[in-house]
Amino acid sequence: MGATLRWLCGIGMALAAGVGLVASAAHAQSDRVPIIVTPGAAKTYRFAQQLFADRSARPDPEAIHSFHDAVADALEYSGVFQRIDQKAFLGPETTQALEGGPPVLCSDWTQIGADALIEGEITRDAEGFSVVARVWDTVRCKDLVRKRYRQPISADPDIVARRLADSIVEAFTGTMGVSATEIAFVSDRSGNKEIYVMNADGSAARAATANRSINNFPGWSPDADAIVYTSYRYMNEAHLFVSSRGARRPGRLLPGLNRAQYRAVFDPSGRRLAAVISDGSAPDLYLLDADGGNLRRLTRTRAIEVSPSWSPDGKRLVFVSDKTGSPQLYIMNVDGGSVRRLTYDGSYNTAPCWSPDGQWIAYETRVGGQFDIWLIDPEGAVNVPLVTHGRSDEGPSWAPDSRKLAFSSTRRGRADIYVIDRDGSNLRRLTSGAGNNTSPAWGPYPR
Amino acid sequence: MAGVAMLDDPAATLESRRRREFRRMVVVSAVLHLSALGVAVSRPAPRAIAAPAAISVELVSDPTKPSRPAAAVRPPAPAPKPKPAKKVLPARPTQPKPKAQPKPAPERKEVVIEPKPKQEKSLEDLLADFREEQGESAPPAASPTATAAVPTPGAPGGTARVSPEVADWMRRAKIHVKRAWVVPPGFRNELLTTHVVVKLDGQGNVVGTPEIARRSGNPWYDEGVVRGIQKASPLPPPPEPGDWDFVFIPEDAY
Repeated sequence: MGATLRWLCGIGMALAAGVGLVASAAHAQSDRVPIIVTPGAAKTYRFAQQLFADRSARPDPEAIHSFHDAVADALEYSGVFQRIDQKAFLGPETTQALEGGPPVLCSDWTQIGADALIEGEITRDAEGFSVVARVWDTVRCKDLVRKRYRQPISADPDIVARRLADSIVEAFTGTMGVSATEIAFVSDRSGNKEIYVMNADGSAARAATANRSINNFPGWSPDADAIVYTSYRYMNEAHLFVSSRGARRPGRLLPGLNRAQYRAVFDPSGRRLAAVISDGSAPDLYLLDADGGNLRRLTRTRAIEVSPSWSPDGKRLVFVSDKTGSPQLYIMNVDGGSVRRLTYDGSYNTAPCWSPDGQWIAYETRVGGQFDIWLIDPEGAVNVPLVTHGRSDEGPSWAPDSRKLAFSSTRRGRADIYVIDRDGSNLRRLTSGAGNNTSPAWGPYPR
Repeated sequence: MAGVAMLDDPAATLESRRRREFRRMVVVSAVLHLSALGVAVSRPAPRAIAAPAAISVELVSDPTKPSRPAAAVRPPAPAPKPKPAKKVLPARPTQPKPKAQPKPAPERKEVVIEPKPKQEKSLEDLLADFREEQGESAPPAASPTATAAVPTPGAPGGTARVSPEVADWMRRAKIHVKRAWVVPPGFRNELLTTHVVVKLDGQGNVVGTPEIARRSGNPWYDEGVVRGIQKASPLPPPPEPGDWDFVFIPEDAY
């Protein structure tokens, strides 16, 4: 009886609350049943890009087409956009005038399925190369992006094309595209393992080292100015070196230290590095200032501690230790405290890389006789494969947008660098030709 | 006496309790769903669509210092991802994986937490999926008084009565909008929900700009939703012109 009473009371109170809410809801809006819409197959916006008007004293149609293609390629690299062939255009193929020209007829573009229209003007003169571009959200007929770029006439116009494309990606998704970034990697294409740098689409690979020694593990400074790497060029032993294209002092990072130095990574501020150094026994993790000073030890075990990667806030490190008998991922505070094991599954987990948005740690795990790349969240709650293949996929490195990763794979026999979206789609090979290409390090956004 | 007899019969007593319990749960469930529906519908409805601040930026790049957007134009941090109460680690293969093994999407945490593999779908679900893919509508309900259950954002599994004709139109409208809505990979399977009120005329044309009744927290996602609705215009002619509610959830498996 008591239970019944309590039940009736409960129902009464709930009814009162429910009726009140429904009444207030009806007052506020309506009691319409919503239509729940979930994503369909459409993952990419379709863009129509006009040939930009050439405002130069000496027009160069070839340069106009080349710039056009570079923008389109960079947009498609994002995985967010897909081009519409100019043959399908109902509107003008070439921009007439950004200011004072005829109005844009959005229906001309929506009829051919375009979500975006890109129009612009290019001027080449003694002062340099300049581009003005405007991007329309054709569906809402809204002027979404206006950009103006200028650079010396000697600079590569494709740099502007990629930056424009990345900003269009940002306008539609809120996250800047990464086509204007670079990827450092190791290649033995010359017969020696040297550091190379290429554009994020794999183009324009150029050597950053040529010392005919063994060079490995490149890591970018967050301002994209320098690469720290390990080289055997001095005394034929492992030392840390810095290659700089700006203000940093190139050469040995720790000139006074004659202990084996296996790897270093800049922290997100660029002021410190975490390094793997051995005092003759198993390597440990150290912290040092960017100028090589203030070296202090973070781990002190008989086990091997390697592969540090910074959390985006610079307060924690994920690294690999074999202190339990097998290589596993651990997270610790940057003062060396609060060490916590992250991976418990798999007998060989290594090469962690913390995503710039902090959500995931990519790492390689041994499955059978080869490695796959998995993602685990920093709490260790979710652990999923990024990509699996019969051959080894190794050395994951996040793009600065946290939406793409680079890794090396032997799926073609030799090792090549690939990029892939975080959801496992849009796999793309960046390197080809001779040699093994490994250890990719995705550089930061250009400044 | 019958009551006494029932009380004397353990099985009958149990059955009676079970029925009472069931009735009670049905009523409680109905009340809770009504309440949740009330909460969902009574949320304040901001009028204007705020365009992302980044959108009309004019920027002159310095060749020595390439352009970058200001930090202020970054979108607000997405809602934190759900964390399961305990660690759930998918079983690792002990043998090299076959090449044809499907790759689970990393973001789809729900799949890891509460696996709902598609293979477990009933024949009806599969048939519905097939019809949806073919752009067909659902078969008409068996009885004119039948109800169509449509989940509401605030009350998963909640039901509300709509006529078979309306349910059929809603289904066709959903397929139509779904096709027009572009969802880039970065938005898929994120915790984003946008509620839009769309005014339709008798021919299904979207009248004016759809009004966002509930934002997702990511203005670019919200803009994409509005873009999708407008691109879908005209929708199939609605049962009656006026305001219709659409809720966009970027979760494939919802």
